[in-house]
Amino acid sequence: MQHALILLGVLIAGMGLSVEAGLLGPLGEQVGHLSATLSIFMVGALLLSLALLFSPKRQLGALFKQPRWLLTGGVLGPVYVIVLTLATPLVGVGMTMVGILCGQVATSLAIDHFGWLGSERRQVDGYRLGALAMILVALWLM
Amino acid sequence: MLLPIVFALLLAGGAVLAAQSSINGRLGAHTGVLESAWLTFAVGAVLTFLLMFFFEPSHEATLFSVPKWQLTGALFGVVYMLAIVFAVPRVGTAAATVSVISGQLLMSLLIDHFGWLNNAERALDGSRYVAMVLLLLAIVLIYLSHRRSVHPAS
Repeated sequence: MQHALILLGVLIAGMGLSVEAGLLGPLGEQVGHLSATLSIFMVGALLLSLALLFSPKRQLGALFKQPRWLLTGGVLGPVYVIVLTLATPLVGVGMTMVGILCGQVATSLAIDHFGWLGSERRQVDGYRLGALAMILVALWLM
Repeated sequence: MLLPIVFALLLAGGAVLAAQSSINGRLGAHTGVLESAWLTFAVGAVLTFLLMFFFEPSHEATLFSVPKWQLTGALFGVVYMLAIVFAVPRVGTAAATVSVISGQLLMSLLIDHFGWLNNAERALDGSRYVAMVLLLLAIVLIYLSHRRSVHPAS
């Protein structure tokens, strides 16, 4: 029962991601794609700064002890959000989400298979390969 | 002409997202989830500010003049992040991933169908229903794949 409630919450959180894309597309058309992207990262950064300030144990210093390449996640995030603002007005939220999912599944498969980014090497997985094929067909049908 | 470019962009966007979650997963394990999320958003804000400052063509509307509800996108992203951090240790990655993707796809089709949030209407038609069935199967396979990677023996 508690499990089901948590999963429902996560499902709603996932719906929120599409709402985010649905808000970004029209916003980007009005104020510009880069400004729309900035609004996401600025508000997010400010909120998380507040959260960090009040969190019981924080270890911001640990960030600077990590190898530099582990800090590049922040460079990749904006690429994804800019793509969202560009694509949704052109092809709709549905196709945008399916396309993103497709790139995501394919890349995570490659990351595991070749052991990129310091992850453990894992053989290509038939289930995910099948999922990728179905997502591709779905993308084509959208 | 435009469509292949959009496709390529979308695939690249998804690829970048997968790389990011792999990198941030490792970082988060060393520094804590809040710290790694903060870094992502802070670096992202600095970068997009610089890009906007130098490259954005001027628009009639600005972030300060549009209705405020259009600026709430980031809240959904932050709520999502918190939900994942809360759920993964309790229900496992497999179930959490599957729930997120299901919610995402379901809502995106609803937004398109009804044209919510000022989006263009793209009605559900026969081929979209078939696509939904395929996506459902894909979600089941993703679940099985995650299950297998957690319990390699079974």
